[in-house]
Amino acid sequence: MKRRILSFAMVAALSLGAACYDSTGNGYGGGPGTLVLRLTTPHPDDGAVLFEVTGPPVESVAAANGSLRVFTRHEGVRVVGAVVGDLANGAVVTLQVPDRAAAAGYSARVLEVSDRQSVLRASLAGYALRVAP
Amino acid sequence: MSPLRRSWIVLLLLALSGAPPATAQTQSSGSWRDVVRLLREAHIVPRAGPARLLETDLAEREPDNEPATANLAALGVRATGVIAEHGDVDTWALDLTAGTFLSVDVDAASIGSDLDPVIGLIAPNGTTTLAFNDDFDGADSRISFRIRESGRYYVAIRGFGDSGNPSFNYAIHFGTVVCLGAGTEREPNGAAGTASVLGDDGSGTGELCALDDDPAGDVDLWAFTGFAGTTVELDVNAGSIFGDPFLALFASDGTTRLAFNEDADGSDPRLQFTIGTTGTYFAAVSSRTHPGGNAFPYTLRLRTVAAGPGDPITVRAEGLSTPFGLAVGGTGDLFVGELAGNRVVRVSATGAVTTFVAGILAPLGLAFDGFDRLLVVSQDGAVYRVTPQGVASRFITDAGFPFWIAVAPDGRIWLTDVSDRSLRRYSRTGQFEARFDGIGIGGSGPGPLAIGPAGEPFVSNGAEIWKLTDGRFERVLGGAPLIRAFAFDVAGNIYGPAPAAGRVLLFDPAGRVLADPFAIGPDAPVTLAFGRDATGATVKRLFGVDPNTGRVFEMNPAGLTHRGLPAGDTLPIPVDVAAAALLGAGGLGAEDVLLLDAQGNHNGRYDIGDLQAYLRSHP
Repeated sequence: MKRRILSFAMVAALSLGAACYDSTGNGYGGGPGTLVLRLTTPHPDDGAVLFEVTGPPVESVAAANGSLRVFTRHEGVRVVGAVVGDLANGAVVTLQVPDRAAAAGYSARVLEVSDRQSVLRASLAGYALRVAP
Repeated sequence: MSPLRRSWIVLLLLALSGAPPATAQTQSSGSWRDVVRLLREAHIVPRAGPARLLETDLAEREPDNEPATANLAALGVRATGVIAEHGDVDTWALDLTAGTFLSVDVDAASIGSDLDPVIGLIAPNGTTTLAFNDDFDGADSRISFRIRESGRYYVAIRGFGDSGNPSFNYAIHFGTVVCLGAGTEREPNGAAGTASVLGDDGSGTGELCALDDDPAGDVDLWAFTGFAGTTVELDVNAGSIFGDPFLALFASDGTTRLAFNEDADGSDPRLQFTIGTTGTYFAAVSSRTHPGGNAFPYTLRLRTVAAGPGDPITVRAEGLSTPFGLAVGGTGDLFVGELAGNRVVRVSATGAVTTFVAGILAPLGLAFDGFDRLLVVSQDGAVYRVTPQGVASRFITDAGFPFWIAVAPDGRIWLTDVSDRSLRRYSRTGQFEARFDGIGIGGSGPGPLAIGPAGEPFVSNGAEIWKLTDGRFERVLGGAPLIRAFAFDVAGNIYGPAPAAGRVLLFDPAGRVLADPFAIGPDAPVTLAFGRDATGATVKRLFGVDPNTGRVFEMNPAGLTHRGLPAGDTLPIPVDVAAAALLGAGGLGAEDVLLLDAQGNHNGRYDIGDLQAYLRSHP
């Protein structure tokens, strides 16, 4: 019996630990936290991206790093935003959300892209945005 | 650089606006005119064959290389001679009385000789050369000269480069010059009351006499009827390599000058003017210079031309002393540099002219910085910064010969430096940052300077406009008439003043002509600037200055399609507003959208590239 109790305690501890693990330390599950909007681009010289995020509520949006500037506008379940700077594959924007566990419910897409000379990309083929913890 | 050299350069640059030849000059019997007429009517000996001597009144006798051994001739005499060998000089003596307007005309090539003559008029002391001529009538020579003191004068003729050959024969004609008129003109016609009348076809032919005792030289006035609302073009064709004729338009009183031009087509002048009141007007043709005192024929043509969308213009201020630079202040007042007045004046909305700052030598380019301080380039080589209260202090002093100036949206200051033909960039506090060599753009560049929609500097090199992008010059437009200080509207269209052509042109951002003329009302516009309202926002009003007439004028605002591109480091649209509009919040007017698109990728709509460009120029 004592062994069972120990095993349960270990499983519980591991489960609790896993549940509480977050690389940003913001917690997860049913609580508020940060999600990351990650860009996939076929070009090495993107200068700005116009995007939208739909899904569960988004409380605020911030640039993923200090070299980028981001502007957003909330329209109900839709957030439309512009991120400007020397963009590359990877995190471009962070989303402050009330429930990180709902990450899978978010959808994001690229609306427009310009290169660093302000020329609009004629095609958005190869671009993608993904909301991830 | 010395002040003298600076003055010369300024004058040279200013000379890019103006006039060609002709005074009504006719010579007496036996003169050049008669001989030319006779020769034209006579059989011309082919150059390929041996030259033949004409029948003459007098033939030279050697030796006659010096005044002491000169052959004595007289007025009315036609003489002949031969420059027979290398270094040969034939000298002719003339006893002349004070007041005689002497004409000496040589014919060699025109009679089939291989001689390329040069002639000089020598004073009675036998050594002082009073006048000289090489090529007047083709390779043949001619001198007209007013004799001041009675005495024996000498005319020396030789071959160009001291060449000589037994076949180098010539005829020389000694006569006097009288100004009787030529072609359809009738001398005297130097006043409104005696003006010649243009023919039914709107043309007239005449000749400008040599400059004489009258410092103004020969002035031919031509009368014509101008009809209100029409725009007339007056065009002088002289085609002479001598002289520098100019053209002026006078009002019905014969004294009020309405327009002026000097060198529209090479050295020939042309001007356009919109007639305000039906009545008699006078076109005056005269000549600025006359090498050798010789006369030049010309043709004057009058035609009616279509006005541009910027016509008619309205005079906002006049009587200024060679206005040149122009900038518009944050409350809408115009600031104009008086090149000859050594001051900057403020022109209010009502047209009142007051001194804003005095004591700045020959103000050239003007621009406002972001703190409503006027930057004034002076011919003394410094850029002055003038407070709104009119207090000036030296601001930039390390440029060789700064001329034009502009302030970019990021607050940086751009200068053209005539001394090394460069474009220089300074911080908003006046610290030198970078130099860009402009010699490669050719022409007279880098000249007049303006900041484009994306915050990059554009410069004119004369007939072309170039922009500096990423440190390299790119040509935007070419093949235009001489373009001086141009201005942008929010759509990136370029309004270019063409002083020599006497009109303003409009180009699209790619350099294609949208309107030529945009306005023909201005006489010789050199600088344009868009107006601003009391809040500092640019408006659909375009102003210009004309140093020839001393005026500040405004184009017809109905002809403008867009307001002006904001100048200086003002922020025309808050960044948050620009961004929100892109994200769907609205809040921008059509002109704002045009501005943002013009600053960006100019694809006809406002997009993410335009916002990116706007952020780059307004960090």
